[in-house]
Amino acid sequence: MTTEVTPTTTKAKRNFSFLFALTLVGLLLLLCVVLSIATPNFATPNNISNLLRQGSMIAILAIGQTFVIITGGIDLSVGAIVGFSTVIVAGLIQSGMPIWLAIIITLLMGLAIGFFHAFGIVKMGLPPFIITLATLTSLRGMGLLMTNGSTINITDPAFTQFSRESFLGIPNLFWMVVIVAVPAYIFLHLSKWGRYLYAVGSNSESARLSGVSVPKMIFIAYGLSAMCAAFVGVMLAARLGVGNATQGEGWELQAIASSVIGGTSLFGAVGSVHGPLIGAFILATISNGANLLNVNSFWQRIITGVLIIVIVFFDQLRRRGR
Amino acid sequence: MTELASDSAQAAIVPILQLRGLEKRYGHIQALKPSSLDFNRGEIHAIVGENGAGKSTLIKLLTGVIQRTGGAILWNGQEVGLANPSEAIGHGINAVHQEVVLCRHLSVAANIFLGDETVRFGMLQKGAMTRAAQKILDDIGFDLKADAILGSLTIGQQQLVATARASVRGTKFIIFDEPTAYLTRQEAAQLFALIRRLRGEGVTVVYISHRMEEIFELADRVSVLRDGLLVGTRNIAETNDTELVAMMINRTLDQIYHKETIPFGKLLLEAKQLSGKGFSDISIKVHAGEIVGLYGLIGAGRSEFALSLFGRNPKTGGSIEWQGQEVNIRNERKAIALGIALAPESRRDQGLNLNLPIGLNLNLPIYDRLTRGPFVDVGEEKRRADQQIKDLGIKTPSRRSLASSMSGGNQQKIVIGKWLNHGADLFIFDEPTVGVDVGTKAEIYRLFAKLLKDGAGIILISSYLPEVYELADTLHVFRDGRLTGSQTYRQSSHEHILAEAIGV
Repeated sequence: MTTEVTPTTTKAKRNFSFLFALTLVGLLLLLCVVLSIATPNFATPNNISNLLRQGSMIAILAIGQTFVIITGGIDLSVGAIVGFSTVIVAGLIQSGMPIWLAIIITLLMGLAIGFFHAFGIVKMGLPPFIITLATLTSLRGMGLLMTNGSTINITDPAFTQFSRESFLGIPNLFWMVVIVAVPAYIFLHLSKWGRYLYAVGSNSESARLSGVSVPKMIFIAYGLSAMCAAFVGVMLAARLGVGNATQGEGWELQAIASSVIGGTSLFGAVGSVHGPLIGAFILATISNGANLLNVNSFWQRIITGVLIIVIVFFDQLRRRGR
Repeated sequence: MTELASDSAQAAIVPILQLRGLEKRYGHIQALKPSSLDFNRGEIHAIVGENGAGKSTLIKLLTGVIQRTGGAILWNGQEVGLANPSEAIGHGINAVHQEVVLCRHLSVAANIFLGDETVRFGMLQKGAMTRAAQKILDDIGFDLKADAILGSLTIGQQQLVATARASVRGTKFIIFDEPTAYLTRQEAAQLFALIRRLRGEGVTVVYISHRMEEIFELADRVSVLRDGLLVGTRNIAETNDTELVAMMINRTLDQIYHKETIPFGKLLLEAKQLSGKGFSDISIKVHAGEIVGLYGLIGAGRSEFALSLFGRNPKTGGSIEWQGQEVNIRNERKAIALGIALAPESRRDQGLNLNLPIGLNLNLPIYDRLTRGPFVDVGEEKRRADQQIKDLGIKTPSRRSLASSMSGGNQQKIVIGKWLNHGADLFIFDEPTVGVDVGTKAEIYRLFAKLLKDGAGIILISSYLPEVYELADTLHVFRDGRLTGSQTYRQSSHEHILAEAIGV
């Protein structure tokens, strides 16, 4: 009826999340190998840098998104925050403000938007889906109003230069992922806050009765997600050299997809920092490869959809197997 | 098995479901050792055993939730696979679980017919279904409205709906897992009437309960499981609770309630005319070394009172004094900081983070103490969790196992363990032994004595009278949110206290 099970399988089961991450890395490497063979343009320094830049922004969004999803919520506003932040940071820099101050103000504004989401959820009792959907549309409108629907060009070369440069041969934008991911990993996996986040997502009533401040954790999760989005907005403004409220359209869905491909459960209490990172770069590689192979961009969307289904399906099988 | 003491045994004894060396292994752990047993048509067969003795495993095997690793199951003499739940239901095997697994937002009727709806031209026949459901409920004597929304009912009433649902679908074999844990006496009486009626119709009822008096009231035969092994089957008329308990745990009944006389210490907590949602005008005192029992039916306001003491629900009147000082317990963290711990009523909804590891559950209240700089001290985290697992005898392969994989008694130990881990001056235990076997109960009571000796006070909330009666130094009775009586240890009779609780 069943196979003979030895004591070692108990240990193997425990390491499933590690194995899952390895499988994802394997998938990413496989994609790279196949694309290197299929097109000579893939494995060029130029293209790899480009790919890293493309993937970096979704990766950072996905990390923030993962915090929110672990609490059992969702943040649909991150794409709109990206667009709005490009407008804010561009406007501030063009008004003559020092770059560092403009960036800090933009990040704080992101944090404030996240706190507003948490306020809506904790104090007004709104579902996360609704409050973040509301800011998604409102922020786009506010950005368009502020710019009158046009684009703000950033004339300070120091700001745009940063996004094109590299450090140790790796694009600066990718270094930004490291700068976000390392503290994020410590926060989620090594600090008490991470434990509380999982507890809130698993059963907020039990967490509360165990002395965890549930509202505080909701504020932290949504604050971090929105601040990651504002950070990505700054990166995008630097990369494109413009502020435009319509940027980042649909990025919230890519961030959610990356997170889910990386093993995050939309029911909460399951997720990691490394999973969504790999997820984001898998999506970026597919998109990059499809471009190089001249695959119709409409097909890319279909392929991404199929991939989400396949990966999450296998992840579910694994969980059921436990 | 040639004779049966029961009055239902007028017909010849026909086995309906037979276990032949049934076995279930998880790795090297034998959850059910090879067991053979016959369930007869039209009998009420009780199964008793400690938590982790293999009762849940047996239920899951019979309902097709898990698959056996050895032996055979015969249904009407034919070997069957029972490879999945729908095969079991197809044969007429149903189970009513301890925790209700129905749709809270649908009506009672919709739940009863869920998956089996009356449809005409693709349209639900709601009216017809409600009438049919009402007829079923009236027929089996449940005092419930078929058009009520399930979520608006008490847990006990929901349990009755689950029972009604399981009993109408051509059922020939029905398993009840701790069905009375959340029922009031009246509801339990309705349930027992249904169970006897099912037996009269030739249905086989398997009845799992920790409450001995129910087993002696209902069952025809009783089987005992211990450590995954079927240790014996008795006709109910030929056994008694002393023998059954001995078979289950090799201990006698007197040793279960463990009461030591410990002198009271200082006054810990005094509630003065405290009112809040679900209770009003409650005044009690708790001293160090004292067990204060709060007895009453489910919904009498005891748990609500406890939640207000713990800062979960706001008080609307009165005051709380903590060690002589008036305090404002505005949230749970304030209560914990004062030195109050609460092991809440519902393990699943309030007590545990089920899909997280046992270790995280045990350490959840103390992560502040486990933090060094930005990091959790992983070594200390591991040590504290393993310490509780060892001290409380939580049966788990690892602290990394999920809390959901534990049996009821072990889950309760986790709920209690997290507060032992934290430490407190006043422990509030709300229904600590619901769904918990005799052996674990004895362990929990012994733990109470240890806490008292260490200088703590205990508020023990229970709807199981013998428990509070035997353990509480001071016993308060709740009815409809008010105190209807208070007595010292063994001052009044069971009958007197029960009368105060139900208001006759």
